[in-house]
Amino acid sequence: METLEDEGIDDVEHVLAEAAGPITTEGRVGTPLSARPFLITTGVAGLAAIVLANVLNGSVAANAIVVVLTLIATAAVTVIAVDRRQNGIREGRFIAIVAVAVAIEALILIWAANQDKVQSTLITVLVAVAGSASIWIGANLLFNQVRNRWKRFSALAFGAVGFLLGVVLHGNQATLGSGGGFLSWLIGPLVGTAVFVALGIVLSQTDDPKMRMIISVGAGAAIGLVIGLLIREQYQPEFDFGAIALWTAIGIVVGVGLSALGKRALVGGALIGGALGWILGAWGGADLGAGNMATSIIATAVPGIALGIRLGMTPNPDYKQRSEIDLRSRSYIFVGPALLFIFIMLVVPGIRTLYLSLLDNDSVDFVGGENYGAIFNDPNSFDVSNWTNMFTSMPFIIGAGFLALALVVGIIMKQRTGHAVELGNPTAAPLIFGLFLLSFGVFTALRGTIINNLWWVVVVTFVSTAMGLAVAVLADGKRGEKYSKSFIFMPMAISLVGASIIWRFVYAARDTSSEQTGVLNALWVGLGRLSTGSGLPTLIGTIVFGLILVGVLMVMARGLVQRNWGRAITFGFVAVLAGWIFLRYTAIIGDGLGGFVITPDGTVEGQTVLFVQEPPYNNFWLMVILIWIQTGFAMVILSAAIKAVPTELIEAAKIDGATDSQVFWRVTLPQIATTIGVVVTTIIVLVMKVYDIVKVITNGQFGTQVLANDMFNQAFQFGNTGQGAALAILIFISVLPVMVYNISRMQKED
Amino acid sequence: MSSTTTDTSITSSGDPHPIDDGSGGSGIIDRAYRLLRSVPTGLLWLIVVVWTIPTLGLFVNSFRTRDAQRSTGWWKGLNPFDWTTANYDQIINARQSIGNSLLNSMAIAIPATIIPIAIAAFAAYGFAWIDFRGRKPLFIATVSLLAVPLQVALIPLLQMFNNGASLTLPGLDKTITLIPDFDLAGTTTAVWLTHTGFAMPFAIFLLHNYISALPKDVFEAARIDGAAHFTIFWRLVLPLSIPVLAAFAIFQFLWTWNDFLIANTMIGANVDEQPTTILIANLAGDFGRNENILPAAAFVQAFVPIIVFFSLQRYFVRGLLAGSVKG
Repeated sequence: METLEDEGIDDVEHVLAEAAGPITTEGRVGTPLSARPFLITTGVAGLAAIVLANVLNGSVAANAIVVVLTLIATAAVTVIAVDRRQNGIREGRFIAIVAVAVAIEALILIWAANQDKVQSTLITVLVAVAGSASIWIGANLLFNQVRNRWKRFSALAFGAVGFLLGVVLHGNQATLGSGGGFLSWLIGPLVGTAVFVALGIVLSQTDDPKMRMIISVGAGAAIGLVIGLLIREQYQPEFDFGAIALWTAIGIVVGVGLSALGKRALVGGALIGGALGWILGAWGGADLGAGNMATSIIATAVPGIALGIRLGMTPNPDYKQRSEIDLRSRSYIFVGPALLFIFIMLVVPGIRTLYLSLLDNDSVDFVGGENYGAIFNDPNSFDVSNWTNMFTSMPFIIGAGFLALALVVGIIMKQRTGHAVELGNPTAAPLIFGLFLLSFGVFTALRGTIINNLWWVVVVTFVSTAMGLAVAVLADGKRGEKYSKSFIFMPMAISLVGASIIWRFVYAARDTSSEQTGVLNALWVGLGRLSTGSGLPTLIGTIVFGLILVGVLMVMARGLVQRNWGRAITFGFVAVLAGWIFLRYTAIIGDGLGGFVITPDGTVEGQTVLFVQEPPYNNFWLMVILIWIQTGFAMVILSAAIKAVPTELIEAAKIDGATDSQVFWRVTLPQIATTIGVVVTTIIVLVMKVYDIVKVITNGQFGTQVLANDMFNQAFQFGNTGQGAALAILIFISVLPVMVYNISRMQKED
Repeated sequence: MSSTTTDTSITSSGDPHPIDDGSGGSGIIDRAYRLLRSVPTGLLWLIVVVWTIPTLGLFVNSFRTRDAQRSTGWWKGLNPFDWTTANYDQIINARQSIGNSLLNSMAIAIPATIIPIAIAAFAAYGFAWIDFRGRKPLFIATVSLLAVPLQVALIPLLQMFNNGASLTLPGLDKTITLIPDFDLAGTTTAVWLTHTGFAMPFAIFLLHNYISALPKDVFEAARIDGAAHFTIFWRLVLPLSIPVLAAFAIFQFLWTWNDFLIANTMIGANVDEQPTTILIANLAGDFGRNENILPAAAFVQAFVPIIVFFSLQRYFVRGLLAGSVKG
C-alpha cells in the first residue's frame, strides 16, 4: 500500500516541482523510456494473443498460448527494462510489480479472449484509437514535407483532396458507375486521387503566373464539367436562381469578412466563399432530379472555375513561406483535435441548451423566458413565503446574539489593537459561529430547490474546507500522519453513488421495538436509554460528560488568566455547548439527552431520528455525505500548501516572539489564502452540480430536491426539454462568477 | 518523513489552538493542562475513526446473511468466522450480473482515459510550444470551460447520439446532415465520447502546466538539430511527461469509473450496457428487496477505484496538486 507520504508528499518542494514540471532533464529521459518497450510489447503480445485465441476458437490450447506468449514477451522486456533502470527505483520492487502485472494481464487475457462483449468493445476502441492516430500522424508526416519537398507535398495534399472528393461523390452513389460493390466504390476515389495528384505535380513545377492561372482554371473547369456530366439523373438539380444568388452572396460576404480578419487578399476569400455558396444554393435550394445535365454542369463548373482562379492566384511558395506553412499547419494539427472535441461536445451543445430553454417543452414554440419564470414561480423550487418564521427560529436568534457580541467585541478590539476583525482575535469566533447559525436559521425558514442548492453550497463548502484545514493542521508533523491522511482521503476514491449507499446504512432507522442497525440511530437511542436510565453505565456517562466540561472550562480559564481573549472566547462557546449537553444528560434541564420519548403513561421508549425523511434537517444529513468526501480533497491541497510555507517566515515570526497560535493565524493562514480560495471555488462548482447523492437517497423527495437532480428528472424522465434546459442554464449561471474569478486569476498569473 | 521541512513544521504550524508550552507552571491547572495537550492528536484519530466507520460497516455487512443484516448492527458481526460469501455469489449469478456491468464500466473508463490523454497532450504541446496567432486567448477560453457544469451540454448531446445532428439553412428546403446518426444511443461508446469532450479543458490545463515548464534549452537544441515539432513531441515531450500523464490518467479513470450522471443520461434503462454505478443505484432503489446484496455490490464497485487509489495515490495527489496549488 502506498500512502500519501510515500516517496515524499511531505517533501513538498519535490512534489510541487514535479507537479509544476521537471527542473532538470537528467535522469528523466532514461526512466520513462524503459517503461515504453514494456508497455508496447505486452500490449502487442496481448492483442496478438487475443486474435490468435479467437482464431483457435477459444480452446484450452489457445488460452495456454495466450499465457505463454504474454509471459515470454513481458519477461524479456522486463529484463531489458530492469537493466536500463539500474539507477532508477529499487529493482526488487520493480520486478515484483512487473510479475504481478503480468500475472493479472494473463488472467484477464484468458478471460477476455472468450468474451464476445470484450472483443467488440476492444475492436471499437482499437478502431477509434488507431483510426484517429493514423490520421493525426499522417497529417504530421504530410506537413513534414512542406519545407524541403514541395513537389511531394503538393502531390500528396492534392491527392488527399481528390480522394475525399471521390469518396463523398462516388461513395454516396451520386455519380454514374457507383453502387456495384467495393471495386466500383473504389473507382471514384482512385480516379479523383489520380487527377488531383497530376494537377498538384504540374502546379508545383510551374512558376510562371500566367501558366499557373491557365492550368488551374482549366483544371477547375474540366473537373467541374466532368463531375456535372457524371451526376446521376436523380440528383441533377433544377436551376433555382434565387437560392443560388442568395447563398453565393452570403458566401462572398463571409469569405471577404474572413479574409479581412486574416489580413489576406479579399478576392481570394470572395472566390472561395462564392464557390461554396454557389454549391450550397444550387444543390440545397432546388428539387433534385428535376434538372438536366446542363443545370448540373452549371452547378459544378462555375464553382470549379472560381476555385481554379483562386488556386491560380497563388504562386508556389518560396522557402520562407514554406516554413511559415509548416509552422502554421502544426498549430492546427496539434490544437485542432482538442478544440474540435470541445466545440462539438461543449460549446455547441451549450449554445443549443440556451436555445432550447427558450422553447416550450416539446421544443416547438418560442416561449421566451417562460421556463425561467416557471422555476421561480413554482413553490417547489423557490418558496420564501415563510420568511417571517426565520425570526422566531432558535438558530437565527442565537446567531444574531453572537453577531451582536461580535460587534461589541469588535469595537473593543478596534480601540485596543486597531483591527476590528482579525483571524485569531476574539471577534473571529463569535462572528463565524454567528454567521453560520444565522444562515442556518434563514435556510430552515425558506424552502425549495434553489434554496436547497444555496444551502448545499454554503454548508458543504464551509464545513469541508474548515474540516480539511483542521485535519491538515492536526496531522501536520504528527506520528502516523500519512496513515491518518490516507484514511480521510480514501472517500475521494469511492463513487458518489457508493458513498450514498454507505451512508444509507449509517442513517438506517428501524422500528424501536427491534434493534437499530444504523450506527447513528443505535448511538442515539442508546444515549437516550443511558440518559434516562440509572445505575453504573449512566453514572459513567455523567462522569465522562462532566470531565469534558471541566476540561473545556479549564482551557477557557487559562485563556482568561493569560489574557488570551481569542482562545478564551472560542472555548467559552464550546463550554456553553458542553454545559448544555451535560445538563441535558443529567436531566437537570429537560428529561434527558438522546433518542427517547416518554409515553403518556410515564414509561420511556426509544425514538429514532429519521435522518432521510425529516425535512428540513434531512438536507443537512445528505450534505454530510459530500462533506465526508470533500474533506479529504481540501485536506490534501491545504496540507501541501501549509508545508510549502517558507520556514524562514515562521522562524522570523518566532524570533519576534509570536506564539504558535499567532504564527498560525498571522503567518501560515495568510500564506495559504490563495490555496484556500482555490479549494473553495473548486468545491462550490462541484456542489452546484451535485446530483448522485440526492438521486440515490431521496430522488428529491422529502424536500431535498436540488437543481441538478431536478434538471435530470425534467429533461430525461418527464420529457420537459424546455424546463430541463432552463434549469441547466440556471446551474451554469450560478457557477459563472466562479468561472470569471478563475479566468481573472489565470490572466493575472501570466 | 526525513526532510528538515517536516521537522520544523512540527513546532511551527501546530494545531488550530496551539497551546503554549505548559511547563511554565506547576500548579494544578498547569499540570492538567499538559494532559490536555495530547487532545489534538486524540481528536485527529477520532476523526480518522469516524471517517472510516461507514466504509467498514459496509464491508462487514457485505459478508453477513440477510437475516443477520436485518436483525443486528454490523458491529455485532465482526467475527470473520461467521462470515459468508453468499451475497457475492448472489450478485455474480444474478440475472443482471455484476460481471457484465463491471465490463461495461471498463468499456467506458478505459477509452475515456486513453483518448483524452492523447488529444490533450497534442493540444497542451501546441499551446505551450507552437507559436501561433490567438494562442493565448484560445488557451484561456479553453481552460475557462473547466468550471462549466456538464448539465449544460447533456440534453443536446443525448439528442445528437439519438438522431445525429443536422442544420437547416434559411432559403434552402433541405437539412444538411452535419453528424450522421451512428446509432450510439444507449451505448457505452456514447458515454466515453461524452467523457472525452468534458475531460478536455481540465486535461489540457493540467498537461499544459507541466509541458510548458519543461526546460526551454531541450527544445532549442532539438530544433537546431532540425527536429520538427512532431519529432520533438514524440521523442522528447511524451517521454518527459510520463508523470503528469499518469497523474491525469488516474484522475480521469477514477472519475469515469465513478460517474453516474453521464452514464445514466446516455445509457439509462439499457440493461446490457449499464455500468456498475447504475447497477448499484438501481439495487438501492428497489425498496429493500435487494438490501442484503447491496453492500456486496457497492463494495465490488468501490473495490477497483480503492485499489487504484491506494497503489497509485502519489500520482493522484500530484494531479490534484498541479491542478490546484499551482493554479
